[in-house]
Amino acid sequence: MAEERRGSWFGFGFCGFGQALGSGRGRQVHSPEPLRTPGAGADVRRVSASWSYTAVVTRGGQVQLSGAAGGAAGGCRDAWASEALLVVLRAGPELQAWAPACALRGEPLWTHTLVPEAEGADGAGAEAQAAALPLLPGARAYVSPRPPFYRPLAPELRARRLELGAEHALLLDEAGQVFSWGQGRHGQLGHGTLEAEPEPRLLEALQGLPMAEVAAGGWHSVCVSETGDIYIWGWNESGQLALPTRSLAEDGKTVAREGTGELYTWGWGKYGQLGHKDTTSLDRPRRVEYFVDKQLQVRAVSCGLWNTYVCAVERGES
Amino acid sequence: MAEDHREPLAGAGALRETLRALLPHTKEELVPELGEKVERSVVRLLWEAAELFCGGCWRECLQASEAILDYSWEKLNTGPWQDVHKDWRRVYAFGCLLKAVCLFEEPGDAPAVAAALKACDMGLLMGAAIHGDILIKVAAVLQAHLPSGKRPGPGPAQEQPSMKKAREDPVSVPDVALERPVPRLRCPSLQHFRKQFLVPGRPVILEGVADQWPCMTKWSLEYIQDIAGCRTVPVEVGSRYTDEDWSQTLMTVNEFISRYIRSESRDVGYLAQHQLFDQIPELKQDIGIPDYCCLGDGEEEEITINAWFGPQGTVSPLHQDPQQNFLVQVLGRKYIRLYSPQESEALYAHETHLLHNTSQVGARGPRVTLQILPPIPGDQAGDRSGFLQVDVENPDLEKFPKFAEAPFLSCVLSPGEILFIPVQYWHYVRALDLSFSVSFWWS
Repeated sequence: MAEERRGSWFGFGFCGFGQALGSGRGRQVHSPEPLRTPGAGADVRRVSASWSYTAVVTRGGQVQLSGAAGGAAGGCRDAWASEALLVVLRAGPELQAWAPACALRGEPLWTHTLVPEAEGADGAGAEAQAAALPLLPGARAYVSPRPPFYRPLAPELRARRLELGAEHALLLDEAGQVFSWGQGRHGQLGHGTLEAEPEPRLLEALQGLPMAEVAAGGWHSVCVSETGDIYIWGWNESGQLALPTRSLAEDGKTVAREGTGELYTWGWGKYGQLGHKDTTSLDRPRRVEYFVDKQLQVRAVSCGLWNTYVCAVERGES
Repeated sequence: MAEDHREPLAGAGALRETLRALLPHTKEELVPELGEKVERSVVRLLWEAAELFCGGCWRECLQASEAILDYSWEKLNTGPWQDVHKDWRRVYAFGCLLKAVCLFEEPGDAPAVAAALKACDMGLLMGAAIHGDILIKVAAVLQAHLPSGKRPGPGPAQEQPSMKKAREDPVSVPDVALERPVPRLRCPSLQHFRKQFLVPGRPVILEGVADQWPCMTKWSLEYIQDIAGCRTVPVEVGSRYTDEDWSQTLMTVNEFISRYIRSESRDVGYLAQHQLFDQIPELKQDIGIPDYCCLGDGEEEEITINAWFGPQGTVSPLHQDPQQNFLVQVLGRKYIRLYSPQESEALYAHETHLLHNTSQVGARGPRVTLQILPPIPGDQAGDRSGFLQVDVENPDLEKFPKFAEAPFLSCVLSPGEILFIPVQYWHYVRALDLSFSVSFWWS
């Protein structure tokens, strides 16, 4: 999920459904292009991209959809896009799950009213530190694209961040510990086996190394330590793990990482989602030159299934 | 193949006619029936692709079909294979069909047709049947029109197939005379077979039953390459499938023969447990079905026929199958050992695990059979590392002392012979030569 930072947004990769992604020429964009959101330019706070559509949340509280799903609505703090469900967090606070196709008109599929005092219990307001979907404010639960949609989390977990892969989940807690659960057949859970885990299980291999960020691809997991080291595990089908592969076959997931405002990408590149002006897959990180050439510092990244959205500011801005 | 010529194939016109006659003509007929599991966005893309297809916009349709393939492929890799909804496999097959025809239409040269054939095979291996097995028909048409030699292969150093035979190392042939032999019968009556072997669950070798099948005289490496050389098949790589570095991969039959049969490969490659005869109906003409299968409860269509094709030295560790099995030997010899299910304790079978095959590449389903695998602390099913295993021909009797006492039957199965392996009967198989077997699983 991308966090709110002021700056301009860019996109590259698959846009075969006409989702807002630069010019959207020819169903794929291979190099970053400025995002063209349905509502004029503005003030994009958050981007959540599913395969066939993208949801953009503006600072003014509007959520705008583009691609296979269209429409817009106001009074939104956060949105999370998946093929099955569009989840929107509205003032209330109320959680709503919509069928993407209904363009935010009519009735949502279900709603869940959140307890107002539960949010900000630690003093955190609607700031950048606030939990981002699919983690709910208050970190007592998260939302899933498959039923049951509302999933409680044990309070002792003190979740700071939660990310969902195709069939697993990663959780980062306040102490910088990482937990994982779900299916493990590709090693994406990181517990040293291929077994599934029904409940969040602590990653013992990372004990003693506080993590600052976690992210999940389809079948792999990434985390960054407070000292800036990256740890990746899971399926290395297209080089996502930045380890040499025997052959770069199709498929895998893009992983993007921020450097000192520099963006590096690697993994599956068939739809241009790596942003290197081509469609080759890579098994080692490569800098996206577009941002360097344009003197832009990358502030936030949001990965869709086959595309990438980046927020950047001009160098020199704070 | 000269890659610089982007020439259409000779006879492409006739080929185009044949293909078009096979396919539905309207997009309504083209898009398969699908249930709710398939998301609306995907259905929309399918209709778009179908419209492009019917409009003859091959390049755009190819792009759309790639997206269909990539998205459904991800669904095929989510969750255990047996839980993957059939509709996603239909979507995948549909993507393969469109891709194959688009590649053929444009650019339509030999490499494109080879890629089109590969797309058909991927659809057959991973997808589910649509439009009455249309992929099999399309594949057959494409294959028939590939340039003669049917080997769009790389490299100037093309081996002369008739000259270079399979490599043969000196092999340890067990002295079966010292072991209790599997009984042999020549063409027993159905009654006799049922009463003496099927009902009591006793193994037997049937002679004179399959020895006149066409495969016995027709099949050779050259013939197999001719009929199936450019077709993509699943291959198991590694000494045995309980090893840590065992894996499955896909390659053409030509690549398999060149890499694992004709040349000195460090790894063992085995084209194992694959329903080759569904994929290539022409080969099915060369085999029969043992009459004794009619003694079972099932229909003939329900009989699973698998090909087992590999070099000398392939090993299937001791395991059980949930159905009756006729193992027909066509090429080469196999050493086979059989242990009764009553001996399961001496085989340490009560502590077995289910072995999960995590790779779904090319598999019609995971190769899940019960293994003789005593547990070790902290061991979990699915983790292949550190498994102990009774090596049938070289057992560790300190770890498995009872194994030495377990009685067994053994044989060397030769071309033309059929081994009846009763349901749940433990069996271990090692190929003594380059070998091709055909198994019939029936109930």
